[in-house]
Amino acid sequence: MALFSNIQVNVNALPKAEDLDLNPISPKYFYILLLNICIPFIVLTTAALVLNFFADDSNIQSVLWYGIAAIFIMFIISIVLGYLGFKKRKYAIREKDMTYSHGYIVHKIITLPYNRIQHIEIARSFLARKFGLSTLKIYSAGQSGGDISIKGLPRDVADAQYDFLTKIINERV
Amino acid sequence: MSAFNFETASRQSAKGIIVIFGVSTFKVLRGSLIIFAALILKYFSSDKFPNLLNLKFILIAVGIVLFFLALATLRYLNFKFYVNHKYFFLQKGIFNKEEVSVSTAKIQNVYIKQNLLQQLINVVSLSIETAGDDKTEIEIMALSRPKAQALKSLLLLSSNENESKATERLKETVYFRASVKKLVLEGISENHFKSLVLIFAFIIGLYNNLKEFVYQLDLTSRFGSWFQLDGESVMTLLLFNLSIVGLLLILAFLLSLVRMFIQNFNLTVKRNSEGLEISKGLLNKINLSLSAHRIQNTTIITNRLKQLFGLYKLAFTQAMANKKQQQNFNIVGLGKTQISELLQQFYPNAEERLIKNKPSKYLMIRLLVRSAIIVVIINGLLAFGPIIVFLVNIPLILYIIVNANFAYKKAYYHVDNDYIVVGGGQLIETTTKYLEIKKIQAVSFNQSIFQKRRDLASIVIYTASKSLTIPHIDTNIALSIKNYLVFKVESENKDWM
Repeated sequence: MALFSNIQVNVNALPKAEDLDLNPISPKYFYILLLNICIPFIVLTTAALVLNFFADDSNIQSVLWYGIAAIFIMFIISIVLGYLGFKKRKYAIREKDMTYSHGYIVHKIITLPYNRIQHIEIARSFLARKFGLSTLKIYSAGQSGGDISIKGLPRDVADAQYDFLTKIINERV
Repeated sequence: MSAFNFETASRQSAKGIIVIFGVSTFKVLRGSLIIFAALILKYFSSDKFPNLLNLKFILIAVGIVLFFLALATLRYLNFKFYVNHKYFFLQKGIFNKEEVSVSTAKIQNVYIKQNLLQQLINVVSLSIETAGDDKTEIEIMALSRPKAQALKSLLLLSSNENESKATERLKETVYFRASVKKLVLEGISENHFKSLVLIFAFIIGLYNNLKEFVYQLDLTSRFGSWFQLDGESVMTLLLFNLSIVGLLLILAFLLSLVRMFIQNFNLTVKRNSEGLEISKGLLNKINLSLSAHRIQNTTIITNRLKQLFGLYKLAFTQAMANKKQQQNFNIVGLGKTQISELLQQFYPNAEERLIKNKPSKYLMIRLLVRSAIIVVIINGLLAFGPIIVFLVNIPLILYIIVNANFAYKKAYYHVDNDYIVVGGGQLIETTTKYLEIKKIQAVSFNQSIFQKRRDLASIVIYTASKSLTIPHIDTNIALSIKNYLVFKVESENKDWM
């Protein structure tokens, strides 16, 4: 391969991130995603309907109906994209790094080596607590990104990963 | 070690009172500018000028000045610092006492700055930047220059002790000094659009502040009477607009020149074994050191005109430096050989190993598609005007095509055992970015649905400052670059700072 000059390692023999067996996050997280998409749309639609009810001008009313139709189309697109994106949310833990994949329109697979971890954190939002889920956040020193935030992990899995990573960080020094 | 004793708590130079007073007065004046404008306006419209020599006014003015002076004196008296057992201590606050202690090992950088007032009374300010949060701001407002230098070297010495004591210290020599001629050339060849945007932002900001004022002056009706819309007036209007555009362009040009001078006046670069020492500035003199181990990525920037003059800008980014400070790590007016020498210092042998691999032509296509969308929007707006304005499309489309061509022509990437180099630019500007593999924090493989159809992907490399993108390369190559970079970071386990 002409790509790397002065080559020392056989690039093809390197551990391949693309062959990783990525674990999906909890299916329950899809409900949270759905709720997060639905709530703003419901608010918007209700607002439009209320306005519609009070408006006497028929011109305004027809414009509002177009608005509601547009909101509905956006809603369907958001749900489809949300579902496709949900399918892409996967993670994997290796001996020396972790990988997180997400995003449908732009699919991103980020790999963060353990020796670059600054600190880790578990966050549980109100909705996540109701579904028994946690968010695992792993921070590097990256200033313009380079952090991983795995949303929708079952609580016990997140805790186990947290302990595992903490152990690795503590042994590192 | 030095003539100054930092072990016992000491105050800054007594001139500090003047500096603190000056800075707080300036802040108050700037904050109450609108109020003053409103007051003046009020007197304008009421035709009643107040007698400024009235005893009442004088007393109020004197009272305010005395109050701020007293505040400054108290602040000065309550501000003490000392260095003890590798810790820097700072006590401050009049009513709310605050004590800050910083381990010298955690000090990232020490800046020596001098604003206009400090230049006048011949003191400097010293600020300390630590790893971690941006909030803790440690700044000593007034020190004599030798004392500040001594304190700086004391603080930095103990933080670098373990690594640099052993290596023999290169004697510090002045490596580069930007001459006035170079700065003029740099100013002329700047991107004047940036200045134009600044001017617009300034005008809009001013307008928002003085909206009432402008409204009261009734400008619109006055201007309105200038142009009575008959046959000749369209021509007058056109000329008027053209002359405004011309005026703005000249203003932008001058602003670029002035900005260049204010920021980079007397730019001096000293080279030592650990890195560089940069000092520059006219109104705000700044002195900062750039250590090699904290450099994250380095960008060489030039444009067509600058290339003609043989001018290059070197922009370093450092870990843990805030955005405002980041701008100061730029060195303008360098020649080609100096760029090579400095690159050799921070990225040994990188230049000679360079192999330019081309990304996919999709880079050009994407740029064309994006520009096409903008053209469509512009034409949509033009639809309301006369037909003749559609002629704008000819230069616009020509520019877009040539620009996209050059964007592709200038794009390349290179990966080897130690470095990643990414070249880019468009019609006018050319950039080259260098990054050491050991500075990598994380690597991301990004593939949009449009890239996927063409079997392409981009690699984004995250560092402790800016990220670096290798755009639009074959999926397989992207994957092997990612695997290789991750493998290097994990197997070598080198410190990134």
